[in-house]
Amino acid sequence: MSPEKKITVKKQAYTVNDELADEIRFLMKEKKKLFFNIMGSVGAGKTLLLENLAQRLSKYHRIFVINGDIATTIDSDRIAQHGVKTVQINTGGGCHLNANLIHKELNKINLDNYDIFFAENVGNLICPAAWDIGAQLNVVVVSITEGEYVIKKHPIIFKNAEIAIINKCDLDGLGFDSDILVEDASKIKSSMKIIRTSAKTGTGVEELIAALGIKVPKGEEYA
Amino acid sequence: MHEYSLASAIVEQVKDIVQQNNANKVKKINVTAGPYEMVIPDLLKDAYGIITSELEKFKGSTLELEILPAKINCLECEYTGEPDKEGDQEFAFNFKCPHCGSRDTHLKIQYLTIETVDLEIPDEVTSA
Repeated sequence: MSPEKKITVKKQAYTVNDELADEIRFLMKEKKKLFFNIMGSVGAGKTLLLENLAQRLSKYHRIFVINGDIATTIDSDRIAQHGVKTVQINTGGGCHLNANLIHKELNKINLDNYDIFFAENVGNLICPAAWDIGAQLNVVVVSITEGEYVIKKHPIIFKNAEIAIINKCDLDGLGFDSDILVEDASKIKSSMKIIRTSAKTGTGVEELIAALGIKVPKGEEYA
Repeated sequence: MHEYSLASAIVEQVKDIVQQNNANKVKKINVTAGPYEMVIPDLLKDAYGIITSELEKFKGSTLELEILPAKINCLECEYTGEPDKEGDQEFAFNFKCPHCGSRDTHLKIQYLTIETVDLEIPDEVTSA
């Protein structure tokens, strides 16, 4: 019988992802760029929020948006109408973006040509929570029409995010209640920045811009 | 949902270890992961079986996944370790720090890790 040998490895199976995520974060910091990971359910309003941000910020900043979806270029086409550069990643069957997909896209462009990067993750409140894409801030968008228990049911993604956006607040009081989601988001993480928005009417978008740490010229916040 | 790509990542790394050690065969791979890494043990084993069915050196090998206890980082007192057993009736995973009692805690990510690999080494390699 052949001898056997036990090898101690102690190595992450997916080191590639986290090494790449750290590399992206380091590069962005070194070049003084901002990079945000926008997560949330299908239909939470991530794309419309990004359209609002693009519309307000494209005058002052050079923006690059990476959209992740199973199929189609609908989201990147919508956001590109507001004068920012976009690219669509089709994940096929993939339920989340990962650092490798982001790294590949960033390698195709000159980072110096942009100031702010957004990744709109695949619509999903589960898997994106477990995949670091190298962003400086993780943002979760949740809309009040998703039901009052949505945060309680998906705690991990909220627990490890820095900003929670409670969207579709134009429907507040019309059978939907934003207070429950605001309360749950603050209970699950007391240091969470919580912002009520309506991507439809534009309410709360300036507050979001401030929370992301994006500077716009004084007196032109509402441009 | 992503067990197949995790299983491929394990196999790719173990292929290198097999080569470095001039091994004949892989007998067993032990891996660990935290409880909130969204790894479903049965799906991981199935994916491993499918990927290795065509690989001669992996035939008959087993993949053992151990799910580790949850760990938290406390943002109040900087404690790192297992959370208070009490849990939270209202929020799943909203763990309490056993040290200072705060619930301002982060779940510590404990990614899927290859711990050990049991290999069968040919006689001439060990005697050489």
